[in-house]
Amino acid sequence: MQPFSLSPAPLTPETYRSALADRAAGGYASFEGRVRDHNEGRRVVRLEYEAFEELAVKEGERIVAEAMARYGVRRAACVHRVGGLDVGELAVWVGVAGTHRDEAFAACRYIIDEVKHRVPVWKLEHYSDGDSGWVACERCAAHEPGSPHAHEGDGSQSRHEVPDRAAFVHDYSRQVVLPEVGPGGQARLAAAAVLVVGAGGLGVPVLQYLAAAGVGRLVIVDGDRVEPSNLHRQPLYGVADVGRPKVEVAAERLEALNVDVTVEPRAVHATPDNVDALVRSCDLVVECTDNFRAKFLVSDAVVRAGKPAVFASVHQYEGQLQVYRPLPHWPCLRCLWPEAPRDGMVGNCAEAGVLGPVPATLGALEAMAALRRLLGLDAGDAPSLVMVDLSSLETRRIGARRDPRCDHDRPGGAPGLEADEMDLELEFATLTQALESGLELVDIRESWERAHDPPGLQIPTHVPLSELVKGHVEFPADGRYLIVCAHGVRSLSLVEHLRTQGRTGVHSLRGGLAVLRS
Amino acid sequence: MIVEVRYFAVLRERAGLAAESVETAVGTAAELYDELAARHAFDLPRTLLRVAVNEEFADWSHRLSPGDRIVFIPPVAGG
Ligand SMILES: [Zn+2]
Repeated sequence: MQPFSLSPAPLTPETYRSALADRAAGGYASFEGRVRDHNEGRRVVRLEYEAFEELAVKEGERIVAEAMARYGVRRAACVHRVGGLDVGELAVWVGVAGTHRDEAFAACRYIIDEVKHRVPVWKLEHYSDGDSGWVACERCAAHEPGSPHAHEGDGSQSRHEVPDRAAFVHDYSRQVVLPEVGPGGQARLAAAAVLVVGAGGLGVPVLQYLAAAGVGRLVIVDGDRVEPSNLHRQPLYGVADVGRPKVEVAAERLEALNVDVTVEPRAVHATPDNVDALVRSCDLVVECTDNFRAKFLVSDAVVRAGKPAVFASVHQYEGQLQVYRPLPHWPCLRCLWPEAPRDGMVGNCAEAGVLGPVPATLGALEAMAALRRLLGLDAGDAPSLVMVDLSSLETRRIGARRDPRCDHDRPGGAPGLEADEMDLELEFATLTQALESGLELVDIRESWERAHDPPGLQIPTHVPLSELVKGHVEFPADGRYLIVCAHGVRSLSLVEHLRTQGRTGVHSLRGGLAVLRS
Repeated sequence: MIVEVRYFAVLRERAGLAAESVETAVGTAAELYDELAARHAFDLPRTLLRVAVNEEFADWSHRLSPGDRIVFIPPVAGG
């Protein structure tokens, strides 16, 4: 059947459905739009559709072709009714056959939305009071008088030949066709929010590729203005932009690149005061600054927030790339560099010099890592630092591990962390020693077990495990605790559970009260 | 024994080479760095660097074996 047609006769969905039948299609989705009995508070009794046929069919065919390319479906068609219709009659029909249901649903939705929006069909509504009125297609209605989308004569003709930004459809077909991406992956990108810290040599390609790929929301943080010395490695900016805030120029360029993307420019530097809120507002952070202070600030914030992040740095002809994931065994920046270097110690771009393609390459690698994370393609990756030498074209992946001395519960805090902070179990010879450890004792035994405690062995803080398990009581939120039970078995399992919840500062008394008594 | 050493970033600049085979009698990665730091006049303190042995981050106390591939990695910040 024709991908798009106008029918003066009543629509026959059964015929269309069998025309779309495809043995390779596992999913079929259809939409039927009917004449409703009211519009904007007025009672509709009948209506008439009129179309500028030549234009309508051309635009309709274009929409169906876009949907097929965009979602990779096997067959799709749309039929729009013209002429007089009664309430309840079928006005428009869309059918899509695809290998899987996801793309069939998505393509069907796309076609009906775009047809309502773009195809020059308008309707004359007849109301119950005998009155009638022309109702333009949604796109006609959205246009302002005097725009290129002018209606001519009596309003029964319409022109849609001037494409505007709002009507332009970003074509993701070249990435959607990848089996690992598909329409589902594209939808994940569209739903994602990414924080990009730094809009310089690394940030420029990150922003361009994430925007082009259709990442739904990009928050850009950079307090710098465009300087002449930036342009050789930040070609998103031009000579005319010198002096303007980078994030402002970047937002303009990225919105021109892809209207699907919402860009939120923040012309500030990341600081301890703003970093946590920024990180929490996004699903993923891409760190693109040129200084250690910001890199460690971002690393600590993503560890606190439990968000994944991508880090990169360059030096002359070399670069380093590191991905952080909020998993127990993944290292943060401090795990790799326990002694956070001070800026100026090992050189930045201003001091050491850099050729543009070096940050461009590392930025592209960051964008790739970000897309893989958003698409869930990096599940099998092991934590590592990747080193790239753009002179020799050598890359080197160095396996990295979490440093147990790096406290991911208090990232960046408490240097000189006590070694026992990570221990699940602590040993004490006497109750006095345990009390003097600075930890608050919490007894999780049941009440009946406590009934016969000798006078010197009573622990005031009592949180019975049975009540905790049922959710009747909560374990205290803050503080450092030594959890005790009779033999140290229940307390150890509770500590293990609390640690999986991200709690630190909770320990189990090894051997339980039995040890202290003996 | 002979080990294969690679330098990155500021160390490469300072050494004037990216890689070399080193004949050494030292036992640990730390001792190797100290020996090479004296030879190449590296001024970065060891505590700022990381060392990787055979493509894994290693402790400075890591004992070296003949043929080990050693990489000295300074942190870099440019962007
Ligand atoms: Zn860490």
